[in-house]
Amino acid sequence: MSAVESRTVQAGLGIRPQAGPARTSGRGGPARRVGDVVWGLVAVAVFAMSAFPVYWMINTSFLPNSAIRGEDIAFFPTPDLFTMRNYVSVITDESRAAFTPAMWNSIWVTTLTVFLAMILGFLASLALTRFKFKGRRTFILLILVVQMLPGEAMFISLFRIIDSWHMLNTVIGLVLVYLAGVLPFTIWTLRGFVNGVPAELEEAAMIDGCTKAGAFWRVTFPLLAPGLVATGVFALIQAWNEFILALIIMSRPESMTLPIWLRTFQQANEATNWGAMMAGSTLVALPVVIFFLFVQGRMTGGLVSGAVKG
Amino acid sequence: MKKIRVGGAVASVAVVALGLSACGGSAEPASEGPVTGDVRVWVVGGDTPEEARAFLKSTFEEQNPGSTLTIEEQAWDGLVDKYTTALSGSDAPDVVEIGNTQAAAFTSAGYFAEITGEQFEELGGDDLLPGFVEAGDWEGVHYALPYYSGSRVVFYSEQVLGGTEVPSTLDEYVATASSLKTADRSGIYWPGQDWYNALPFIWENGGFIAEPKDDGTWEAGFSSEGGLAGLEQIQEAFNTSNAPKDGQETDLQVPFCEGKVAFLSAPSWIQWGIKAEEDAEVPGCLATYGSDLKAFPLPGKDGGAAQVFAGGSNIAVAKNSPNPELAYKALQIMLSDEYQTMIAATGLIPAKVSLAGQVPQDDPIAAAGVEAAKTARLTPASPKWADVEAAGILQAAFTKIAAGQDVETIAKDLDTEIEKILNS
Amino acid sequence: MTTSFLDAPAPASPPPTRRSSRPPRRRKPVLPWLLLSATLVVLGVFTGYPIVRLVVMSFQEYERAQLMGTPAEWVGFDNYVSILTDLDGFWTVLLRSFVVMVICVVLTMVIGTLLALLMMRLGKGLRVLVSVGLLLAWAMPPLSATIVWGWIFDTEYGIVNNLLTRITGDRWFGHSWLLDPLTFFMILVIIVVWGAVPFVAFTMYAGLTQIPGEVIEAAQLDGASALQRFRLVQIPYVSGIITVLIVLSMIWDLRLFTQVFALQTIGGDREATNTIGVYIFQTGMAQGHYGVAGAIGVIFVFIMMGLSSYYVRRTVQEEEL
Repeated sequence: MSAVESRTVQAGLGIRPQAGPARTSGRGGPARRVGDVVWGLVAVAVFAMSAFPVYWMINTSFLPNSAIRGEDIAFFPTPDLFTMRNYVSVITDESRAAFTPAMWNSIWVTTLTVFLAMILGFLASLALTRFKFKGRRTFILLILVVQMLPGEAMFISLFRIIDSWHMLNTVIGLVLVYLAGVLPFTIWTLRGFVNGVPAELEEAAMIDGCTKAGAFWRVTFPLLAPGLVATGVFALIQAWNEFILALIIMSRPESMTLPIWLRTFQQANEATNWGAMMAGSTLVALPVVIFFLFVQGRMTGGLVSGAVKG
Repeated sequence: MKKIRVGGAVASVAVVALGLSACGGSAEPASEGPVTGDVRVWVVGGDTPEEARAFLKSTFEEQNPGSTLTIEEQAWDGLVDKYTTALSGSDAPDVVEIGNTQAAAFTSAGYFAEITGEQFEELGGDDLLPGFVEAGDWEGVHYALPYYSGSRVVFYSEQVLGGTEVPSTLDEYVATASSLKTADRSGIYWPGQDWYNALPFIWENGGFIAEPKDDGTWEAGFSSEGGLAGLEQIQEAFNTSNAPKDGQETDLQVPFCEGKVAFLSAPSWIQWGIKAEEDAEVPGCLATYGSDLKAFPLPGKDGGAAQVFAGGSNIAVAKNSPNPELAYKALQIMLSDEYQTMIAATGLIPAKVSLAGQVPQDDPIAAAGVEAAKTARLTPASPKWADVEAAGILQAAFTKIAAGQDVETIAKDLDTEIEKILNS
Repeated sequence: MTTSFLDAPAPASPPPTRRSSRPPRRRKPVLPWLLLSATLVVLGVFTGYPIVRLVVMSFQEYERAQLMGTPAEWVGFDNYVSILTDLDGFWTVLLRSFVVMVICVVLTMVIGTLLALLMMRLGKGLRVLVSVGLLLAWAMPPLSATIVWGWIFDTEYGIVNNLLTRITGDRWFGHSWLLDPLTFFMILVIIVVWGAVPFVAFTMYAGLTQIPGEVIEAAQLDGASALQRFRLVQIPYVSGIITVLIVLSMIWDLRLFTQVFALQTIGGDREATNTIGVYIFQTGMAQGHYGVAGAIGVIFVFIMMGLSSYYVRRTVQEEEL
């Protein structure tokens, strides 16, 4: 499961509104201006296409079933249509699966996974960048190869391990499995960031009287903050979105995580209630989307400061 | 509520972090007194009525002071996957419902606790539905017992049918449906993935699903002469349907309540969905098409009731149940006359033959169900049959037939797939 | 790979100071292993051991009964033989997975690059608009995204069928997009590409903005057309990034799971739409043939390693400096 969702971090690193694009010449001129209009239209079209499913999800989630199933398309939940019923029913309907415990489980699993992945990943990346030792190369190679394993084939063994430790249906059991899933990528990414902080900075601090550890803590660590954020986002997305392992390890209704909760709507025998499903999808997606918009700016700022670039 | 949840999570983390695994704490026998614990019962889908659930919980907790019983509802979709791991683990549920066609996959692999001859007699013995007892046996030992059975009936409303006569043979059924079909109205409303409805056509036309050969391997029969004839007729019936060709058997009451369905072949409990109030959480149409809802057993090729698929469930105690003794007590309640009578009241066939009379006879829909159950048949008795269902190949094949593709090719491919799984 | 991203923009001339300053100092090997210890334990238990079990099981007949404690029987290479001779099953699924992967990777790369170029041309306001749109697509959890796309293409009430009915005048209600494997994969590709393009676009954009303005200007003065500039100047500059993006996309798209799995739940013919990840899951978790699933897993690892060997080798070489 490791590498799949990792698109996240990478691109987070990618957005760098540095030195304006190479749009150096060719101001003015009617042809140019027509071109600008065309590109503007293309830009709006691109926005519309990439945002449409999100818009459609939110729109549907506020519509009553009559509007969802009507032959007329309701493009907007106008006041006469607007309803919170879908949200109320998915959150309060206890007959299927309860929302609140699932949300708390997801929050706990995600928080712990991110926290542990950061600590372990950070320590490991230090070992791999600031020291040279026998076995280092092998370790790096393994970290790389591990990401190509088909997780689906190992599910049963993971289940058996967690089971033998009597950790089924516990948050920590799921966290351990997720941790193993995200660690290789976390280490790999953090290693790049640590590499990017010149060791001379620490040496300079040591000359000023800091201990090796002190120099590291005061000088290098602050410079790594953006890297930690970026890597943390990856672990977060992974732990928040994963559902097959959760399905296997969390079999009790009270230990469900949000994606499993969402899946119970897909499996419902009685009705494909699209309004409720869209409300559920929105609830699962919303925290991630908000977090993304929020963190995006932070990471960009950190990267622009140039610390990582070296 | 929230606080408690969080606290619980933290506590469990702390406990594990300290290396004190929380295993089996509740099941620890308390020196001499009776064993107490929380018994978890997994029921599947919404067939078990609310009344029965409440009865099970209160009766059990009354009879076993200090113990609790929790009912956890599972979904049919993905059930085999879930049971495969969940029942093999240390945190297994105690009592589980399983589809009768799926039972063999688990009885053969040792997933259920053995039910001794003595217990079997105590729970009903020969009074238990024979076909379902057989479905839960493995190598002469009882593992899973009948829970309920439900055969499909054909629903209709005279407001839609008008003066049309109710068909008395299978051919007439398809022909009538065909004559009633318009662009806006289905003759037979039949979503493509609903393969249970297809089996009677195969059987009535002399075909079979799969049979063991002399050398012990299985032979699938969709491409046999009778099988092909059945599939042809199924395709004809699909042509009278406006249902989504890849649809599942969900939401059946919706098109019916819109008056867009002449015949609806479905489990008898669907009636409650149709007869729900218009403003219910899942709206029905009590005032309109639900007001004169009627049903008849699917007619056979030569009249009488067709051989339909005997759907239903078995029930078993998980081998890894943390509280086997309490689990058995819960099983006793679920097979008690009182509990089974509640099941019967919904129109399902109860697990005991002697209680068949409890199905409301004055209710023509329930009567149709009982009539249909008399000639009901089961799917092939192979432990691997559950894998055939889990693989989704039947759904896929009938979806293609619904879409109008070549029947012979589909039948051959389907037989190959089934034989591959059954003989693997 | 991250290293490559951060350093890659000018692969030809990395800052010389860093290269010389980097060689890690020799140390007693205790401390690094101490730092690695927790990671080693976690990966050893939850990755190392399952791999060993995977390989062991692939030589056994391991079914549901074995989960309940029945001893497993050794069957040698039987599982491998049955997989490798299964033309309709394994090979078809593998071929299908590759075709889907190639289509997804090509589309993702082309569209991503075009969007990066578009963002280069746009003013700040429009660029932010495009970025926000891409960000929304990117942040959507795959499960939510798949369900939403399933709704858009819903057989009965989906907006696509609705609009098609209005536009063409024919009745599209009831048309099932997931039923035909071809349109199933079309929708799958849309979902995957929609979710993957933002990453490529952002990364390519970051890479392209690193190209010094003078270089482009010089090319312009030499009379290079926009297309020539792109082909001869911009592409070579970001070739490192492109390689990494392609390799990563290939790995990700071959390992597709969530989208296929969730889309199959909405509709469609599982047998005809399985990709390798779902196939392994079906064989193992759903049908209980863990030995066979293990063998497929082992074969798959070899295929993945073969595919990425070039990339791995290059990375390891860089590592040694």
